[in-house]
Amino acid sequence: MPSKPPLLRVRGLRRRFGDVDVVHDLNLDVRAGTASALTGRNGAGKSTVLRCITGADRPTAGTVELDGVQVDERSPKIRRDLAVVMDDMDFFPDLSVVEHLDLFAQAHGVEDVEAVVDAVLQEVGLVPQSAQLPGTLSSGQRRRLALASAFVRPRRLLVLDEPEQRLDRAGLDWLAERLNAEKAAGLGVLLASHDQALVEAVVDNVVHLG
Amino acid sequence: MSSRVSGAAEVRALRGQIRHWRRGRADLSLVEAIGDAYIAVFATIMLGSMGISVSLNRRNATGVLCSTATCTTARDLMPWLFGGVEVAVCLGVARLFGPMLVSPAVGTWLLSAPVDRNALLLPRFAGTGSAAFLVGGALAAVVGTLAGFSAGTIAAFAISVAAVCLCTVTLTTVVQARGGPAAKVATWLVAGLVWAAVVALVLGVLPSPAPQQRFSPAWLAALVVTGALAVGSAVRAVVDLPRIHRDRLAPGGSLVPSLSGALATLDLALIYDILVSRRWLARSTVRPHRGGPKGAAALVWRDLIRLRRSPQTVVVPVAAVVVPYFGAALGIGEGLVLLIGLTGFLSGLGLCSALRVLSRTPGLMRCLPLERWEVRSATLAVPAVVLVAWGLATGPAVHEAIGGTTWGTAFWVAGALGVASLVAVTRWMTAAPPDYLKPLVSSPMGAVPTSLFGSLARGFDVLLLLCAPLLLAAPATGAFISLVLAAVVLVVLLNRP
Repeated sequence: MPSKPPLLRVRGLRRRFGDVDVVHDLNLDVRAGTASALTGRNGAGKSTVLRCITGADRPTAGTVELDGVQVDERSPKIRRDLAVVMDDMDFFPDLSVVEHLDLFAQAHGVEDVEAVVDAVLQEVGLVPQSAQLPGTLSSGQRRRLALASAFVRPRRLLVLDEPEQRLDRAGLDWLAERLNAEKAAGLGVLLASHDQALVEAVVDNVVHLG
Repeated sequence: MSSRVSGAAEVRALRGQIRHWRRGRADLSLVEAIGDAYIAVFATIMLGSMGISVSLNRRNATGVLCSTATCTTARDLMPWLFGGVEVAVCLGVARLFGPMLVSPAVGTWLLSAPVDRNALLLPRFAGTGSAAFLVGGALAAVVGTLAGFSAGTIAAFAISVAAVCLCTVTLTTVVQARGGPAAKVATWLVAGLVWAAVVALVLGVLPSPAPQQRFSPAWLAALVVTGALAVGSAVRAVVDLPRIHRDRLAPGGSLVPSLSGALATLDLALIYDILVSRRWLARSTVRPHRGGPKGAAALVWRDLIRLRRSPQTVVVPVAAVVVPYFGAALGIGEGLVLLIGLTGFLSGLGLCSALRVLSRTPGLMRCLPLERWEVRSATLAVPAVVLVAWGLATGPAVHEAIGGTTWGTAFWVAGALGVASLVAVTRWMTAAPPDYLKPLVSSPMGAVPTSLFGSLARGFDVLLLLCAPLLLAAPATGAFISLVLAAVVLVVLLNRP
């Protein structure tokens, strides 16, 4: 019986800035129900790889396939399957925390939006801030809101760029628990991280860059 | 007394030291910078002269056509309305920046130190008041000249407007120290009075001749009262300066570098982002509205919530409907086409905050499982309804201004202008900022991206393109061509990366 193809398949990924090869010939597979991590020093190219995979940046060479289909960030299907939390996440200045999450869930056609959003808000600890506008949140709270935005919507692959950033100890424990639950639910997880404890708690496959 | 003097001297020394640090890092003196920017200076002078010349010629050319009582009154009233607008803008700017503010460096190092705040803020207060007086007076003098006032009346008019502008600075400084909504109320009140005067004029209920065109004893009395109020409030403000809290001084100071940065890249949309963000930051919380439809309609639903949450975004275009009628009353003829397009464009900008945020934030766009054109169309739905309705509401003004048109054609042209405004707003909101990764061109100001100067024309370029057929062809044909062009441009804008 042939083995099931990986959820995410990256082959020969290369990203060149001027004369510098930031990423060179990277191969990576992420299977459903598993988590992979990109590790390495600052500037090793972790975020660049994630940006190329999610379509935020165009690779110099190489292919990125999600479930056998070339990733094109313009495709609604790809956007439905890929939940991405990166540093370029910003919010509407005039919508409250809960309205953002409602909007994401409604745009994805989630049934029983309020129940899903309330549960995620509870989980990320933003219930007291639900009526607050994003500009007034602390950096840690904004990070939690960004992560929550990925959890209120359907997804098949979760892509997180240094999700541990600005989270306190309790937040890191919650994140590890949540990512393990994602794996258990059959979703794929790809993250770039500097947090060894998080990587050890969640990840099945580590790709060290640089 | 002696401790006060030594405190002032200490503050002066500290401010001097900060200035020295700053200037020590500058690699260009002011004279050198002005020398380098000679092209910009000459261009400004030349274009300004051309603008004034065109205005005067236009005024002379249309003067013979201005024979109705409404037109005469409108022209007589124009400088006074401009004076009112100037005061409203002065109030708005004073509220936006404080008016008292301190730079981030002074806020960090000096406001936290036990120094005399009066000595720290007094030079700023004097500078702000002087700037308001001089700029307000200069603009009023230009308007008085264009209005054909005599030399004495121009001087009196300029001094009057300048004195009121000075008053707004001194009074808003007092309000800044004491807190309360007085400055906000005053801004809306002045703007409301100007608007009411225009409405009364358009409806023909203003007595004619309404305004004073010659310096009179009543005018002198009003000027004396204003001057006394300015002096009195200035004294009060100076006493109150040390009472201004740090949290009311710092935001204006941090706003200045943000706006300067945006202006340095000529990125007007970034200025919009900064101001919108600042406005909502001050509000901090809202009453959440939950529920609503799914899919792309969720974005439309959020825009409706925005209208309820921020009614001024729709109040501004509604109030601005009077501008084309005022233009028609002035007898500007086909110039009304440009006036309607421009007014719709500028008043519609506030409606498109969702489009702007989604256009500049790819991370947010990635969260939505929709095509780019679907997202942009959804965020344009509410602005489209408002701006097309706005355009149609100007139909009677078009009918009055463009002679020989039927009512049907007038509304057809007005609707096309509403659509033109919408497309211009879309262009402005979706344009990418200058790209410094692309090849740069050499200029007297250093290397600049090729798209830098073009960014100033964003929105206006599309507006001109869509208004041109209305100016060059017969009204009905021109409106049809304009709508076809608008459809093509809109499709491009909705799909552009």
